[in-house]
Amino acid sequence: MNRFTWATARTIAEAAAAASTIVADAMTALPETAGPGDGTIVKAGGIDILDLLKENLLVPARVASLRDIPDLDAIVEEADSGCRLGAMATLAGLAAHPLLRQRYPAVTDAAGESASPQIRNLATLGGNLLQRPRCWYFRAAEYRCLRKGGGNCFAIPGENQYHAIFGNRPCAIVHPSTVATALVALGATVDLIDAEGAVRRLSLEDFFLPPERDLQRENDLRPHEILTAINLPPLPTSARMVHLRQGEKDAFDWPLADVAVLLDLSPEGICRSASIVLGAAAPVPHRAKPAENALLGKHIDESTAGAAARAALAGATPLAKNAYKTPLFEALIRRALLKAAAPIVKERG
Amino acid sequence: MINAVSALTGRAEAPDSAAPPSVGPDPLAIAMTVNGAARSLQVEPRMTLAEALRGPLGLTGTKIACNRGACSACTVWLDGVPICSCTVLAVEIGTRRVTTIEGLARGDALHPVQAAFIAHDALQCGFCTPGMVMSCAALVERQPDLTADDVRAAISGHYCRCGTYPHVVAATLAAARTRKE
Amino acid sequence: MASDDKPHAERFPFGIVGAGLGVVTRQLPPDEPPPLAPNADLAVIGRPVPRQNGRAKVTGATRFTVDISLPGMLHGRILRSPLAHAEIHGIDVTAAARHPGTRAVLVVARPDELTGATLRYVGAPVAAVAAVSMVAAAEALRLIRVDYQSLPFVADMDEARNATAPPVFDAASAPAGYASGFPARLNLPLDGNVRGPATDGRGDTAEGFAEADLVVEGEYRTQVQTHCCLEPHAIVADWRADGLTVYMSTQFTAGVRHELAEAFGLPLDRVRVIVDGMGGGFGSKSTLGSYGRIAVALSRQAQAPVRLVLDRQEEQMDSGNRPATWQRLRIGAKRDGSLTAISLVSYGTAGVALGAGVGNVAQALYACPNFAAAQYDVFTNASPGCAMRAPGNAPGAFGLEQAIDELAERLQLDPLTLRDHIDPSPVRREERRIGAERIGWRRRHAPGADPGPIKRGMGVAQSLWGANVQTNSACEVRVMRDGSVEVLSSVQDIGTGIGTVLAQTVAEVLGLHSEAITVRIGDTEFPAGPPSYGSRTTASITPPARAAAWRVLRPLFREAALALNAAAEDMAVRDGRILVRGDSGRSIDFRDAAARLRTDRISAVASRSDDYGGFRWRMADAAQARQDLGGVQFAAVAVDTETGVIRVERVVAVQDCGRPMNPLLIESQVQGGVLMGLSYALFEERILDRHTGRMVNPNLEQYKLAGACDTPAIDVVVLENYQANSATDAYGIAEPANIATAPAIANAVYNAIGLRLRALPMTPAAVLAALGKFPARS
Repeated sequence: MNRFTWATARTIAEAAAAASTIVADAMTALPETAGPGDGTIVKAGGIDILDLLKENLLVPARVASLRDIPDLDAIVEEADSGCRLGAMATLAGLAAHPLLRQRYPAVTDAAGESASPQIRNLATLGGNLLQRPRCWYFRAAEYRCLRKGGGNCFAIPGENQYHAIFGNRPCAIVHPSTVATALVALGATVDLIDAEGAVRRLSLEDFFLPPERDLQRENDLRPHEILTAINLPPLPTSARMVHLRQGEKDAFDWPLADVAVLLDLSPEGICRSASIVLGAAAPVPHRAKPAENALLGKHIDESTAGAAARAALAGATPLAKNAYKTPLFEALIRRALLKAAAPIVKERG
Repeated sequence: MINAVSALTGRAEAPDSAAPPSVGPDPLAIAMTVNGAARSLQVEPRMTLAEALRGPLGLTGTKIACNRGACSACTVWLDGVPICSCTVLAVEIGTRRVTTIEGLARGDALHPVQAAFIAHDALQCGFCTPGMVMSCAALVERQPDLTADDVRAAISGHYCRCGTYPHVVAATLAAARTRKE
Repeated sequence: MASDDKPHAERFPFGIVGAGLGVVTRQLPPDEPPPLAPNADLAVIGRPVPRQNGRAKVTGATRFTVDISLPGMLHGRILRSPLAHAEIHGIDVTAAARHPGTRAVLVVARPDELTGATLRYVGAPVAAVAAVSMVAAAEALRLIRVDYQSLPFVADMDEARNATAPPVFDAASAPAGYASGFPARLNLPLDGNVRGPATDGRGDTAEGFAEADLVVEGEYRTQVQTHCCLEPHAIVADWRADGLTVYMSTQFTAGVRHELAEAFGLPLDRVRVIVDGMGGGFGSKSTLGSYGRIAVALSRQAQAPVRLVLDRQEEQMDSGNRPATWQRLRIGAKRDGSLTAISLVSYGTAGVALGAGVGNVAQALYACPNFAAAQYDVFTNASPGCAMRAPGNAPGAFGLEQAIDELAERLQLDPLTLRDHIDPSPVRREERRIGAERIGWRRRHAPGADPGPIKRGMGVAQSLWGANVQTNSACEVRVMRDGSVEVLSSVQDIGTGIGTVLAQTVAEVLGLHSEAITVRIGDTEFPAGPPSYGSRTTASITPPARAAAWRVLRPLFREAALALNAAAEDMAVRDGRILVRGDSGRSIDFRDAAARLRTDRISAVASRSDDYGGFRWRMADAAQARQDLGGVQFAAVAVDTETGVIRVERVVAVQDCGRPMNPLLIESQVQGGVLMGLSYALFEERILDRHTGRMVNPNLEQYKLAGACDTPAIDVVVLENYQANSATDAYGIAEPANIATAPAIANAVYNAIGLRLRALPMTPAAVLAALGKFPARS
């Protein structure tokens, strides 16, 4: 880890003024010239930042902490019965929040199944959404890959068993955030505030950038902007949501595949709208539009759910070692749809 | 909250309206509450809490095994909540209370989880044990009624290469029963 | 009490408790304690005594090597090769030496003027620095300039076998000595990267296959597994004018002392090796290692103590590993199941080291008159493998035990029925009986019989491991005048709790509680103890502990006899008192007897005698008992045929280790063996990038280990199997418990889905591929 100076921002304005450097930009410097520049990066929980610092993948001159900014971790119910999630809310805080658990169970499930209890106690929502990919070539200083400003992707011809099956050219990372899968499915928006206090609000789906839009950044965060909140839209009472994930191991493992579905069903069980998003599938949370379309106007059963799952995977372009993800996603999508459409059994008080 | 760093050192620049003041990169004095005692120590901003505990504070009971939050061997409590001390910097602890394995027993009286670990042989080489004990003790403190699945979830981030998980679960359930009585 | 200064016949318990315990008469060598009764008749041995150092471990007080800090201590760090195969043409350490924090610089791969220094794997040590802090050491390392010339390399075993593959070694440079794995043979031919074969045989396999009614044939693959000790490899070397003291996380203090004496030209009495807390040893901490040599050389150069601790990436990339293997097995049998021939061909790679065979399970587990094995080592540009928990036999059993199950199915026999027919071991027969009952084997259904996507199955596999003994094992027992007792040996506690077992052994002899015995181990100042590898610690060190305690008791008996006005040979011990046998009214407190001693301290040292029944073989300090260690494991699994996920729901492990000394500690060991086997079966794999030869998952996040949520219910049953071989008749358990798990899971998976997975690890990708759920790609 390189030497850096340390600052503690006490207001969002202070933090934004300090945040001169996006982590992704700091990581594209040539290794020979890599050394503390004059940039300041901001740190929330810092789980990922510390990993990058320890591997010398990131050598900032200054690190500014967001931890002492008041109320940035608040989880607030909005007047329209949507919810506003402060960026500094921890994953553990999200997972345990009673109102969220009741209204947005896909979000609490995704947060509660991320990482380990210890990490969930420190990791923040904002940091989780902004963390860099886990691609093992990206994470090793020895490989100067496309995403670090180099000329090659090493995963496509190399070890790609955990890589993307959609949108995987020329870079095959998968987006590392599981929570993002659920949030994109819900149509969440993100608030970005600059040093003057101006708020830029955009849909989380648009906030994430696929390689064809930006090869080195996974999102549209700009210098001197602070991600302050995620807004969850109000949902009709008829909405059903499910998040499922599958790792090789039962806990503390990055998912091989994760799926979030949000359905709106008529009283007769007919699908009025569907949102299906796949995680660990593509460089950004991957919306399975063909599957969504396949469900509209349909009653959801084994057959329609299976057809939608197959439609979701029709465009997959697996690499040499990750073709197994295709049947795995199919199974998870079908199961998630059937679980979401299953009649709700009222719990006895 | 007053930042412990600037409060102690006085090295911090006067806050201007635009950006917050900085400290470091040279070692600076910070204060920390560890196992109930106020401690002061010198750290560079880049020093992790785990390194600070094991180095300047001499509390080597906390172990570093993976140094990236993947094994939980370095688990300590921050305000009573288990965290990996390798994933947080010493300068950002501030006024939060740190509890390490050395601070769990009350004098000679072991925490029920510690006693149960011995009785159930929930340890072999012992390197993961301090972290494992801290996670299980936090669970028992927070939730008196436990199932085996609760214990497994609480230690799901821990690695034990000797394979003590079954005895850890048995010991923690036993400790929870003791605590209730 | 019989005279014990010459050999005499004694009657010993013999056989399995609950399944034909009998008596055997053996010649007892001179000066050995009398036969020890079965555990049921003992006070301390065989009881579930909690480990003595438990309190220190749960309070964080235990000092591990990584916790040791000496005054003026420096920090060592190693510069490692970024390339899989390279020659160093020049190395410039001037700038590193000039770094203000630097106190010593060492060139490890020294370029010779003619040929350069050849580096053969990513992570090979190049140079090292000792500096005033870890940070300074890392900074100084970055100042070393190395002129590498990259050479063609081969990291994949199959590619390395090709005649056109880049050679890893030439005949002159290739390692040729014994390896830690199996089979260990000298002077085998080297052809390209392929060394061997090491052959074994008996009978005539051609005839055997001709006689067979049925032949099964299969190919099996196992991956590289890394040890993942939670405490990294670590050493603190303190070189001084009057001798060298080394604190090391080691499985063999006495062996490391020998290596240090030889490497640095020191007499043995000037080298001291110490280990207190030892954070996990599974084979890779058996020797001094290059990092150990480097730390000592740095300390000598700097004239100051040097601590060198590998970081997790170094641990994963270059601290040893279990070699990858490929094996082809052919087994011929008669209709009734009798085996007529087994042939085994194996290729394995330990990278730049030797020892990648598949052990001796195919040779020795089942009765078969005709056998032929040819085992090859394949050199690759990968870090050196070494022994890891049951080297050879763990990958070997993965192949053999699936092949036997396949044979049973072809013969339309239950897998247990076939094994009852071909396995000559009465111990495993009993283990199969107990295990089958525990797991509910009668409920086992036909392969793939479950409706729905989740399919359940049960499988069994067997274990075979030699009952190893280190004859160079000694123990001292001291009694002080106040009645306090110490047991001393250089043997190290790597987590098995051997110190507690020694206390139990001595306490049993002296009639005391085990807590009354102070255990001082892990220091070569004490009598040389055995290594903690090869599952030999308990077998080697508990007999001399009992012998030493028994010898030190005799002067106490003499004093007690004088005090009680009785004959010394009529003395016995019970509950802290020395009493007249048959007249418990006449007794004296152990402490009062000790108080009568002529000197403040009496002491006896004993070494490991030969097994009373003789050894199977003996080579230098190592020997093997005539009986093997067994073990049978049953696994119940659930396979999700849509996601490919295998979950192990239950394991029943029925094991034997001679006399179980402490069932609580043994249960821990067996659970550990099962979990390491499960993790090997389902999750773990060192993955090398084929284009660079670099490990892509050198951490504990992407290298996957089983965690608490992956842990099944594990039933442990341990037989009491008396063999009348030593003063304790105790043998090891750690490795036998690790051998059968992966094949038992594989056989259970077959029973669940009707498809055989012949490669490890059995990931969701492998299951979905076997099920044909996605198109195969070239």
